[in-house]
Amino acid sequence: MSKFPTRRSVLRGLLAGSVVTVGLPPLECMMNASGTAYAGTVSGFPTRFGLFYWGNGNVPDFWNPTGEGFGSDWTLSEQLIALQPIKHKISVLTGLAVKVPNELPHYSGLAGILSGAPGQTTGDESTMALPTIDQVIAAEVGQNTFFPSLETSVDGGVGYSHNGPHNVNAAEESPHALFNRLFGTGFTLPGDTPIVDPKVGLRRSVLDAILDDANSLSARVGAADRARLEQHMDGIRSLEMRLARMEEDPPNLASCNYPTEPEQDYPEIDGRPQLEAKSRAMCDILVMAYACDQTRVASHWISRAVGNTLFPGAPAGHHNLTHDEPGDQPEVRAIVSQVIAEYSYFLQALDAVPEGDGTLLDHCAILATSDVSLGKTHSLENFPLIVGGSANGFFQQDMHYHSSSQENASRLMMSLTRAMGLSLASFGAQDGRVTDGLSAIEV
Amino acid sequence: MLRPLPLLVLALGACSTEPPAVDPPEPTLRRLTQAQYANALHDLFGEELTVTDRLEPDVPTDGLIELGASITTISPRGVELYESAAFDAAAQVMDDPAWRAEIVGCEPAGTVDAACAENFLSEFGRRAWRRPLTSDELGVWVGISGTAANELGDFWDGLEFGITGILTSPNFLYRVELGESDPDQPGGYRFSDYEMAERLSFLLWNSIPDDELLDAAEAGELTTRDGLLVQTERLLESPRAREGLRTFFRDYLELYEVEHVSKDPYLYNHWSSTIGVAAEEETLRLFEDWVFDSESDYRDLFTTTRSFVDPELAALYNVRAPSREGFEEVAFTEAAGRAGLLGHASLLAMHAHPTLSSPTLRGKFIRQTLLCQPLPPPPAGLNTAIPEADEALPTMRDRLMFHMQEESCASCHALTDPIGLGLENYDGIGRYRASENGATIDPSGDFGNGEYEFLDALELGQQVSKHPDLGPCFTSNLYRYATGHRESFGEAEAIIQLSDDFKGRRYRIAELVVDTVLSNGFRKAGAIQ
Repeated sequence: MSKFPTRRSVLRGLLAGSVVTVGLPPLECMMNASGTAYAGTVSGFPTRFGLFYWGNGNVPDFWNPTGEGFGSDWTLSEQLIALQPIKHKISVLTGLAVKVPNELPHYSGLAGILSGAPGQTTGDESTMALPTIDQVIAAEVGQNTFFPSLETSVDGGVGYSHNGPHNVNAAEESPHALFNRLFGTGFTLPGDTPIVDPKVGLRRSVLDAILDDANSLSARVGAADRARLEQHMDGIRSLEMRLARMEEDPPNLASCNYPTEPEQDYPEIDGRPQLEAKSRAMCDILVMAYACDQTRVASHWISRAVGNTLFPGAPAGHHNLTHDEPGDQPEVRAIVSQVIAEYSYFLQALDAVPEGDGTLLDHCAILATSDVSLGKTHSLENFPLIVGGSANGFFQQDMHYHSSSQENASRLMMSLTRAMGLSLASFGAQDGRVTDGLSAIEV
Repeated sequence: MLRPLPLLVLALGACSTEPPAVDPPEPTLRRLTQAQYANALHDLFGEELTVTDRLEPDVPTDGLIELGASITTISPRGVELYESAAFDAAAQVMDDPAWRAEIVGCEPAGTVDAACAENFLSEFGRRAWRRPLTSDELGVWVGISGTAANELGDFWDGLEFGITGILTSPNFLYRVELGESDPDQPGGYRFSDYEMAERLSFLLWNSIPDDELLDAAEAGELTTRDGLLVQTERLLESPRAREGLRTFFRDYLELYEVEHVSKDPYLYNHWSSTIGVAAEEETLRLFEDWVFDSESDYRDLFTTTRSFVDPELAALYNVRAPSREGFEEVAFTEAAGRAGLLGHASLLAMHAHPTLSSPTLRGKFIRQTLLCQPLPPPPAGLNTAIPEADEALPTMRDRLMFHMQEESCASCHALTDPIGLGLENYDGIGRYRASENGATIDPSGDFGNGEYEFLDALELGQQVSKHPDLGPCFTSNLYRYATGHRESFGEAEAIIQLSDDFKGRRYRIAELVVDTVLSNGFRKAGAIQ
């Protein structure tokens, strides 16, 4: 059953000479009478999920914190030192492993951590067999917001957010385009009255008609194409829903405001991308996207698996360095430190936004991870995993959890889905599949 | 000036034997690539239209974007991007009185003029969807345009909604080629006339059919061999075929990557933000010349001393620039140490690292892409570091020696490195060098077991050109590109025939294209399960 008018009902409206506009039920399902509280969370604010990803892993010997447990029992390592200002709101997990067979360098780890399943390969290219963690969560919590999920890319790649095989949610690579998309036409600040534009209703009738075209086509094609069209139709419905919401009052969230408008362009300097400036511009926007409840799910892709980005200061491309730099790999470590500094920036920006008695970060779980641990050997053991924010009190804070048994990293994914209010029976497939979360890091 | 190709004669010459039957897989929808989308919009509205490149990205799969187009889907973000791209295009035209008058062809009698809208949308829809719209389909877009015009108080503003609908419908965004019952083959399927029209135009022009081609489809000519040949010949003789077949070559060699190649600017001061595009252009120009101007043997692309360079590339190649700006033909002398595609900066820079050359990547490209010899993926759990250059190991050959000495490495690297080392006289961006770290480079090698020995890059090019897998590999790739799928067992015989004919036609590419179009693989459809 669709909430939206069928082509027939639109046509009836058209024949009557006036456009049919069908109002959506207001979003009371997610708010209490005062318009601020969200069912099911302690704070009354929704829980948000974020994925912060970079390619090519870390150098575990310089990553793992000293000591285990809470607070002063553990200290940050060289590669994580940029997290010091926000250490009291993170959990660092070490000693976990991605359990899918390590058959495709980088991609096994990528698919293994993000989808809990082995990748699917044809020729030289691979895709995810299952949806990635952000989309597993967005499928449940994305329905209540303007955007089911957001994807942003710093190095210009499309990212790895997958709805399923060969279905990538291509990440936005321009901070300015991201700004316009979220805070341009159609955005209303809390307290302001949305502008009612007749074009919005007309756009919805166009979408409704193309949904009918997709349905008719679907009846004529084979099973694989039917599945592809079904995903296409999900996208059409999602845009229809967003248009319907444009005419409604925005959620009453006190911290919601316009983020700083980014530069039009971030050109390379000396052949090197402006990773820091670009990542920060995007994170500033994502912070407000959460604060305005435009979305509750975002993924931020710093660089690619096997990516050979020339990081500022590095003497060679990142991927080459991971394999070619001898010894303790100071150059690779310097790159990882740069990446973690951007993660720290993101967490601190979230923590700077007050929400109720706490901060926006308190209502988030931002997972930082990569596609391998030690890039040099494509190792999937001792996988890099950090969770920032307690997800409304679900996760422990200021904790270093070390597993001495290389526990399945999918268990963290399971915990994250639970933190987001999902009750899945399992996460992942084959060797990556789990049915339990990681209770040690849960409150 | 393009000479008319003697296609008809040649193609009829091959007609004496019945082409092999095929048993193709189930047909699938192909999403328009970014280039196809832009070309289609330009064909519909005119070259002056600005088309955004903010669309669902192309995803190469199994080596080709065109294969990726058959399995990738349209994401929620893609829906949003296609909607705004269509509105943007429609508004550009509808906001311009002269432009819209030219495109629409009638002046509305009032704010709502269903007859004028219908007249236009029916023509526009036929071009855009590559088939006539049913009266129900037309009624929807005329209705929406009328409602919008009424609501917004302007005929043209209303028409924007009808146009956008047609351009965001799956009937535009996918190539709907699902086949019909084949009267010549009971129980089998063939592509219908309209489906053949778009198969042909996307293959040869990388865009939607023109009116003449749609008229030929309407007249039922494209399901006949002769009718198909007439239109194939017409499309190939159009200058637009150059763009179409360049797109194939660009896809096949992944030349779209060249402009994104990043190189250390301190190490490689001949690389720049513009040279990637120029390097891609060099390779495509030579290919275009091969197909349309000199009508040369495909194999000679690997040995020719001819090429086309601009001043920036001439500087990289250390040859006198043939012109002050733009591309001109150049002939490499023996002193330049460079010949054929394997001497192109595009391929040499792409198959290398930001600070280094890569014999492994270059060897892999030759074996896997040019010769279609599959290589196993590298094992995941190995230490893949190569030793640093030092006095004992000055050259890449020295540094890669351990690839050959360790059994676990050698099983794969023996297939790639000895070939790629033949290109070591070219550095990470393709500039010639005789020595590395003070030691003379030895560019000799073979393809393994002493086969296809060569002394340097020029001889390597000759060995590639003579390799028996070169022509069949090109044939298979063109077939995959044309049909949108990797060939199944049921098509093997047809491809062998095409590849034998390619040889028989002295490897002239345009003739292979015609043979491919006329083959059953291009004309017959599999059953939808």
